[in-house]
Amino acid sequence: MQTILMALMGGLAAILTNKGIAVFNDGLRPIIPEHVEGRMSKRDLAATSFAMSFGLVIGFGIPFSLSANILLIHSILLGTDVIGTWAPDGKKGMVTAGIVGALYGLGLMYGLEFVVNIFEKMPVNFLSDLGKVGDPIVVAFAAFPALATAYQFGIKKGVFNLLAAGLVRQLAVTFSPLMLAGMEVSINPEGMALITGMLILLIFATREKSSNTNVGDLVSVFSERVARIKKNLPMLAVMGALVAAATAYQILAGDPISLNLMKEGALNEAALAALARGVGFIPLIATTAIATGVYSPVGMTFIFAAALFIKNPLLAAIAGAVIISLEILFLDKLAGLLDRFPGIKKAGDNIRTAMSKLLEVALLVGGMNAANAIIPGFGFLFVAGLYILNEIGDQPIVRMAVGPTAAILVGIIANIFVLLSISF
Amino acid sequence: MKIVVGGQVDRQEIANKIKEIAGEKVEVEIMDDIQAATAIKTGNADYYFGACHTGGGGALGMAMAILTNAKCATVSMPGRGPKAEKIKEEVKNGKVAFGFTADHIDKTVTLLLKNILN
Repeated sequence: MQTILMALMGGLAAILTNKGIAVFNDGLRPIIPEHVEGRMSKRDLAATSFAMSFGLVIGFGIPFSLSANILLIHSILLGTDVIGTWAPDGKKGMVTAGIVGALYGLGLMYGLEFVVNIFEKMPVNFLSDLGKVGDPIVVAFAAFPALATAYQFGIKKGVFNLLAAGLVRQLAVTFSPLMLAGMEVSINPEGMALITGMLILLIFATREKSSNTNVGDLVSVFSERVARIKKNLPMLAVMGALVAAATAYQILAGDPISLNLMKEGALNEAALAALARGVGFIPLIATTAIATGVYSPVGMTFIFAAALFIKNPLLAAIAGAVIISLEILFLDKLAGLLDRFPGIKKAGDNIRTAMSKLLEVALLVGGMNAANAIIPGFGFLFVAGLYILNEIGDQPIVRMAVGPTAAILVGIIANIFVLLSISF
Repeated sequence: MKIVVGGQVDRQEIANKIKEIAGEKVEVEIMDDIQAATAIKTGNADYYFGACHTGGGGALGMAMAILTNAKCATVSMPGRGPKAEKIKEEVKNGKVAFGFTADHIDKTVTLLLKNILN
């Protein structure tokens, strides 16, 4: 079943991109109308999409997928972006995109399995140590609403939010499990801290009111493009169903935070993290979609949260289709809402900034710990060195992926050491 | 000369960097990405800088929709830092809206201003 899902997902995503209906890379979305409306050649489009996506597949998608043996959605959908833009226009192109996309999906799944199997058979099996990469982030993620608060409303409110979230976390540790009506209810400290932080951020954000109609203007200027998305609703709903089902099977994750939580088996916390992240993506997806007429194959990323909460793949698929449909049907209403609460729109941007800053730190620390568990001493040296070298060399690896990538490299080096009988 | 900072992440950091390099020579204003792109369109500002994680989506999405591809350029992408030659060429070709990734703010803003101010 998983195999079929991966093939269908890859195939459909590539077709959606080929027809200019949906692309995953937010950077590629604004360029699609340039080609659809004839201002940019297919060749330029394919070249741009390759340049934009390839680095992210290699330097972001794959390292995370390897470190947890769960596929990060970026690995597959950035690839199908490239495949879909590369395949020619018309019926023949659509079929080509579908077939190559499906093969790519299968290739990724078996490729990941293959590489993990090789790692397991190596003289030094570093897979369990590699798991330490995710240790800091599965707790530290709860801090991001406080950081977003600080970005948006100043350092004092940020500190207040962090203290409140920390306090709630410790209260949850102390009082869990709760006895409610004779039933034992265990409370997750990180989940509670995250909810507290998000609530405080959203309360601050909704207090910011405005009478400007920015996004609303966008809807009226680009009404044809909004109509185009609505016309494509059925295909997008199917895509949502496939992604949600794969997430419920736990072979796919929407972002590095929930990926690491899923690896630990903390599905509800992963769902909460995905939900909070979704809030961060509403403004980005809504504004780029309205302005371009091109949607995202995963929508506003809420399907990941729903799939993780539901856990049953079939029900998750239904929920995925329903959620994507609702997002699209209410796209213009949502625009109005973003205008009425400009603080929420800004909060979305700040949530994304805060999450990536947090991931940079947490994954660097995680990467150092993992590498040092694999080869004590050398691990710290290598990861710290590689991080700074990456900075000096204009970041060929995305900053937050340096930790996981370096830890994988140290694992491979450990095996080379064994082959050469170098002791460590 | 006026530069508006749109995009979706690290706006303050970009604005600070512009001020740090150009000082009094330019006026900098941080705006919502839609407002910022509109400011260029209506002639209220001369250049648009924006960052996000891909260099194109949040950074340049609204600018691209409002100003079209002819006025916009993505000058850094994940894993591909800004290139002095490319930036020089884009500025010469009349591009006014520039998107880049948040990882490369320092270097990109420095290169862009060097070319724009000349």
